[in-house]
Amino acid sequence: MSIINIFFGKLVEWILFPFRGMSPWVGMIVLSLVTGIFMLLVFRLTSNQKGIKSIKNKIKAHILELRLFQDNLKISLSSQGKILKCNLKYISCTMKPMLIMIIPLILILIQMNLWFGYKSFSPDQTAILKVKLKDNYNPVETDIILIPSSSAIIVETLPLRIEEEKEIDWRFSVKENGVHHFDLKIGGWTITKTVDATTSHLRKISTIKVRKNTLDQLFNPGEAPLLKDSPIKSIELTYPNESMNLFGWHIHWIIVYFALSVIFGFAFKGLFGVEI
Amino acid sequence: MNNKINIKIYLILLVIFFCAFPLHAYVGPGAGFAFISSFLVLFITFFLALFTFIAWPFRFLIKVLKGQKAYKKSRIDRMVIVGLDGIEPTLIEKYMAEGKLPNMSKLKDQGSYARLDTTTPAISPVAWSSFMTGCHPNKHNIFDFLSRNVKNYLPDLSSAKIGTPKRFLPLGKYKIPLSKPEIKGLRKSIPFWNILGDEGIFSTILRIPITFPPEKFKGHLISGMCAPDLKGSQGTFSFYTTDSAKTQKHEGGMIIPVKRSSNTIETYISGPVNSLLKKEKELRLPMTIFVDKDKNNIRIEVSGEKIDLKPGTFSDWIRIKFRPGLGMKIRAICRFYVSQTDPHFEMYLTPLNIDPEKPALPISHPYIYSVYLGKLIGSYTTLGEADDTWALNEEILSEDSFIKLCYDNHKESEDMLFNAMDKTKKGVVACWFQITDSIQHMFFRYLDKNHPALKTGQTEKSVQVIEKLYTDMDDLVGRVMKQMNKNSLLVVMSDHGFKNFSRGFNLNSWLYLNGYLHLKDGKKESDEWFKDVDWSKTKAYGLGLGGIYINLKGREAQGLVSPGEELKTLKQELNAKLSGLRDDKMGKVAINKLYDRDEIPPGPYKSNCPDFIVGYNIDYRVSWDSVTGKVNTTVFEDNTKAWSGDHCIDPSIVPGVLFSSKKINTKTPSIVDIAPTALDLFGIDIPGHIDGRAIIDMSALTSDKNTKHIGQ
Repeated sequence: MSIINIFFGKLVEWILFPFRGMSPWVGMIVLSLVTGIFMLLVFRLTSNQKGIKSIKNKIKAHILELRLFQDNLKISLSSQGKILKCNLKYISCTMKPMLIMIIPLILILIQMNLWFGYKSFSPDQTAILKVKLKDNYNPVETDIILIPSSSAIIVETLPLRIEEEKEIDWRFSVKENGVHHFDLKIGGWTITKTVDATTSHLRKISTIKVRKNTLDQLFNPGEAPLLKDSPIKSIELTYPNESMNLFGWHIHWIIVYFALSVIFGFAFKGLFGVEI
Repeated sequence: MNNKINIKIYLILLVIFFCAFPLHAYVGPGAGFAFISSFLVLFITFFLALFTFIAWPFRFLIKVLKGQKAYKKSRIDRMVIVGLDGIEPTLIEKYMAEGKLPNMSKLKDQGSYARLDTTTPAISPVAWSSFMTGCHPNKHNIFDFLSRNVKNYLPDLSSAKIGTPKRFLPLGKYKIPLSKPEIKGLRKSIPFWNILGDEGIFSTILRIPITFPPEKFKGHLISGMCAPDLKGSQGTFSFYTTDSAKTQKHEGGMIIPVKRSSNTIETYISGPVNSLLKKEKELRLPMTIFVDKDKNNIRIEVSGEKIDLKPGTFSDWIRIKFRPGLGMKIRAICRFYVSQTDPHFEMYLTPLNIDPEKPALPISHPYIYSVYLGKLIGSYTTLGEADDTWALNEEILSEDSFIKLCYDNHKESEDMLFNAMDKTKKGVVACWFQITDSIQHMFFRYLDKNHPALKTGQTEKSVQVIEKLYTDMDDLVGRVMKQMNKNSLLVVMSDHGFKNFSRGFNLNSWLYLNGYLHLKDGKKESDEWFKDVDWSKTKAYGLGLGGIYINLKGREAQGLVSPGEELKTLKQELNAKLSGLRDDKMGKVAINKLYDRDEIPPGPYKSNCPDFIVGYNIDYRVSWDSVTGKVNTTVFEDNTKAWSGDHCIDPSIVPGVLFSSKKINTKTPSIVDIAPTALDLFGIDIPGHIDGRAIIDMSALTSDKNTKHIGQ
């Protein structure tokens, strides 16, 4: 898991590196362009290009049929039926490349979520730190100490122990910008969780730290994982969600990515000779 | 085994897909492409469907208000016309008697069969123009493939004129056209489908000759014979060869000598003239050919396409585009055929057909019809005469490859026909097939064991080619018959027949040797297109496939013969000398009679008719040299070309055929009868200008309703 995460993490980091000081839109456009073109090439290699072209031609023919035989209701209905049938065939033709693209795309999307999914904390903002314990630990009976790295983060409450959830929560507030951390001391273990309160436009934020060698680690690759025999399952910070600002309109980053990658895909399909 | 592994891989991928949390449900551009494309299709379909449903009652209402009572007086629902160009009655009758044409025999037994009188001259553009208009040539103005220009004695295409834009805006090295190029059809009178359309009756007209440029009417049409290639010609093939011995001029095509350097050939595709340039020049598309002898493979790279080809096989249609400048593109489709790689590389390239999906010239009505067919059946030939007879005649293609080309083209026409029949349940469907004409032109010599061409040219095939052609057409008729119902009429017809062509008659040489045509001082021969003819002394000349023109004062630019008595005397003299003219070497009559223009009924275009049309006897035709205006001292010569069958002879000996699924009321139907028959069957009054008459026996039509139909 770590190797995969490191590879994709470095890849996205490397692509975004020159654009860190710029608006997230720049990074998003570049990533959409690169992945759009990459997927276009994968699509070309893994799909039945001739089949797709043939089905698309048939769809276009039946659409033209609607225009050519507009006086003939029977032909119009039959053409519409054929269009729907061809459309299903078209979707089935795109299944293979789609399934092949799932793995790299999910891994890239996971990485992108770290960069575009959350806002860092701002001064005077409060948040919750959630610690989930292993099943054999009782949160009520477990000794645990939360130590802020500096006065820039202040723990505002005593630990809230939720026995059913095997969870211990603290509320804290951020007082200054910067990268801070909490140290958690539990049963001889000291575990660190970063708190991001930076002001840069584009930065990687890890909301949750999970255990090593689990599926969770694959989906949460932002920080070094917890060791497997640690008493803690995960440590999570409730960062506020980030959105892309388009003329005052806040859009989820994945929608922006969807639109841009598809636009780039369509824009470059002619250049790369890909039938989509 | 592989399938099992694939299934496992897909299952694993699906598991991962469903394990992903909702944010990751979007799996990138691949899904986006599929989603967007599918959604767009559904969106467009939905709106078109909605529009169709909403608009339909209004369209119906408009029809009612306009007073169109289409089909109200119709005696049939549908008329299907299968035009098999050049089917010869004597062969049809022979093969039917031998039981080789079961479907046509059935059609004859249940309906009618007769020989069909053709036009004078018996040439396809003339005959099919009469078919569609119901008029003789004096009313539709098509007398040959070529007409002569009275100003310079040079030939013009008789059916259409493609001009250039009249106004340009100069811009650097370019001249930007400010008006559309003039594309004008020269065939006159009205096709019967236009008259039907005016009454709301729908027609689908497929590749019928002389329908370029397409006219507007209620129906769909794709142009046929005489539709040009991208160069504006009637079909110019290209032949690439490393053999310097084969670089002489070939009729119907251009030779492009190439050099092979370590199995790579750098060459080009010759395109149309770039009329965007002030100094016009030919557009060329760079092409690289790689010959891999070990793998027996040829790779052709052109216009962004990579085509892998085995020697002796045709490529599919390849789409290419020329870039004349200013961001414009001119698109074409073509096919490649590498005949050999050793000792010399030889490759044939079909004429550059106008791309039906992005046509550079109008080739269909409505415009989107050619696009629709292209999307539905794939790229198809749009050149009027697609079966490249010249390529075989000039021995660029072998007999087998020519047959393959013809049958491929034929398949496209068949696909169009069956699609049209599927869509047109009421109205007219007419489709023309060229293969019957092309194969007979090129293989008729096998029917004559003594044909001179069998002694010199390719002789790979046998008489079976002709027989197979007829049985294949019978099969086609059988498949069409299955689609018919009792309220339909099926007409299978040819425009003319076919006869052997073993001797050529150089009409211009005869005129020269008999003192009617004069050469410039000191010349004893003239090159093509009357190059060395002295028009100031010439009284008559031959042009086209059967025409004799008098060099008439006041009509021709350098007219010599005065109208009136001098003209009359000259014509009588020519008629007396040429009618019954014998070929002494063969001991046969070469010319049966001359058809005099003065003896044909009046018509608005009679004046464009040749002064005489030569009625050659069987075995004879105007020679190859005479057609192109060459003059020499040889009058009769053996025809040694593969083009060994012809019909440009005395029309009385080359009638066509007519099969009708309903009884006809005459024993002597004519090609001009088809149009009025169609009008009559759909209950439309036959206009007075039409020369033909309705020939379906209406009493039989009524009683037929109670009998089995041909499709059963």
